Amino acid sequence: MTAAGVKGPSLAGFTPAGLAGVALAAAVMITPLLWTVGLSLKPNFELMRDTSSVFGPPYTLENYRAILANSNVFRWVFNSTVVSLSTTFGVLALSSLAGYAFARLEFRGRRALFVAVLLGLAIPEQAVIIARHQMFSALHLHNTYPGLILPGLSAPFGVFLMTQYFRGIPVELDEAALLDGASHFTIFWKVLLPLTLPAQATLGIFTFLASWNDYWWPLISATRSSMFTLTVGVASSQMNFAQTSGLGYLMAQAVFASVPILIVYALFQQHIVRAVAGAATR
Amino acid sequence: MSSLELTNISKRFGAVSVFQGLSLTIAAGEFVAFLGPSGCGKSTLLRIIAGLERADSGEIRLGDQRIDTLAPGARGVAMVFQHYALYPHMTVRENIAFGLRNGGAPKAEIAERVAEAARVLEIGPLLDKKPGTLSGGERQRVAIGRAIVKQPRLFLFDEPLANLDAALRTRTRLELAQLRRRVRATMIMVTHDQVEAMTLADRVVVMNQGEIQQVGTPMQIYDRPANTFVAGFVGSPRMTLAPVGLVPGDARFATVRLGDGSQVSTRVPRADLPSEGLLLGLRPECVRLGPPRPGEPTAQVEFIERLGDRTLVYVKLGDGTAVTAEDKGASQAQVGQTVGLRLAAAAAHLFGPDGRGHHAAGRAG
Repeated sequence: MTAAGVKGPSLAGFTPAGLAGVALAAAVMITPLLWTVGLSLKPNFELMRDTSSVFGPPYTLENYRAILANSNVFRWVFNSTVVSLSTTFGVLALSSLAGYAFARLEFRGRRALFVAVLLGLAIPEQAVIIARHQMFSALHLHNTYPGLILPGLSAPFGVFLMTQYFRGIPVELDEAALLDGASHFTIFWKVLLPLTLPAQATLGIFTFLASWNDYWWPLISATRSSMFTLTVGVASSQMNFAQTSGLGYLMAQAVFASVPILIVYALFQQHIVRAVAGAATR
Repeated sequence: MSSLELTNISKRFGAVSVFQGLSLTIAAGEFVAFLGPSGCGKSTLLRIIAGLERADSGEIRLGDQRIDTLAPGARGVAMVFQHYALYPHMTVRENIAFGLRNGGAPKAEIAERVAEAARVLEIGPLLDKKPGTLSGGERQRVAIGRAIVKQPRLFLFDEPLANLDAALRTRTRLELAQLRRRVRATMIMVTHDQVEAMTLADRVVVMNQGEIQQVGTPMQIYDRPANTFVAGFVGSPRMTLAPVGLVPGDARFATVRLGDGSQVSTRVPRADLPSEGLLLGLRPECVRLGPPRPGEPTAQVEFIERLGDRTLVYVKLGDGTAVTAEDKGASQAQVGQTVGLRLAAAAAHLFGPDGRGHHAAGRAG
């Protein structure tokens, strides 16, 4: 199945048992989300007594008002946006250029370099975190945007994905462009890059989601509240007894942190479904 | 229009030598077909001329200019690819204009030349469509349009009709012939289809295993094949090549004896012929069927192909030599029947043990 062939959800082809199974799985998936949203709309004092009060009124937006009352929240949203967008565009640019080079250009050590990039896929972040922390300390990059963005730009998967995608484009197009007097950059920019848009969309969406949801590195690198990303900021505002004394507030924070992701999903829903379907069938 | 001269072109891919010292001259305005089986090196030669492959040694001159040192886009060469290689995200107009834009042509001139190409190729209504929405024939025209708009000195066609169905191939072949009259430029076409080569080209270059086997007009190639490879490759069905012995004598022309003992008096001069290891070459149209007659070879019908206007009859001589004969219209021959062969011996060819062809004196070519 090609990515272009992915259609919207359809019940056709499901047996009653299959349909029941899918409905059950959907219920299992949606229940915690509804639970979270429900709790976020309840007063904290009520939840302290009994969380089952979520099933009945009164409901309130007080928890959301409390979040917005924190002056840092919008700063954290801004930080997350800057970091996620910068990381996404950086990864797309670097992966595309590297993918083009690995797929199309002849140079000494190309194969060895590609293998080295692929080895990056096998190294977990935890293995390099101390060295990275030391390096960023030495370069005074902690509590800066570059400090939050640069680690995310190392994307061996992106390079691999784009290399494979470029390899799938017929070389005849490059050759036709060469005969049309195009330079290597023109071939990359005007002929091949537009043809990689499906892969760019896939890579861009996954990179943005991963960057937005990243918690560990921002937690280590950003120690000043003004440089927190939303995930770190939201976590930092929780009290020790948040789960008992401020459960509604906690849940409202979770919902609030998810809203940008929901917006991204709504905007790029078609691409995300294609990306996931493509990953499943490729 | 420019002449093309290839001198001592050599090319290796790793341990495999594709060409060694290949030389060829193509006159200005000539349409030449490179004809040969898959893997013979014809496409590689075309790519070397285009600059998409680099020759290991040798020189290529287009007109007065040496072009093998130039980038593909600077050679004054345009190429139509087998799979068209149209840019899928661009409209037909953008595809055709792409080369002119890269060359820095003014917008007004680009628009004018694109419109002219569209008029010549009758693709005006397609200009704002994307290649993905076009039929194979339309894509072919757009690919040709992209080539002619650059007004190149040399056109290269890489198997231009290979992707078209039979009906469209015939029509496009005709269109290519017409295009050739309208666009006066030197043209080279690579093909493995002898009909394309024979019908379109002024001269055919028959290639095999990286070597030029013969260069000549289509009828020269057909009537006077230089060797057994050309004789077998050009012509459908292929020429019968039967081992024969030279009948001793001092006549001017050679008489040969087939394996079944029957003799064929050819019009091939005896003077240059080797005395043994000969092969007799007979095109199917030079072998007719009839009732067996004394002194003529007889054969048994093995297989019959009825093509409507003619019938191909595959027969075997008494010694097992296979011969292809042609009967006009619907043949009365039956499988298993014993028939007599009427050989148009004057059109027979002889090939020496080295494969070289010896032909009837005074035949066309």
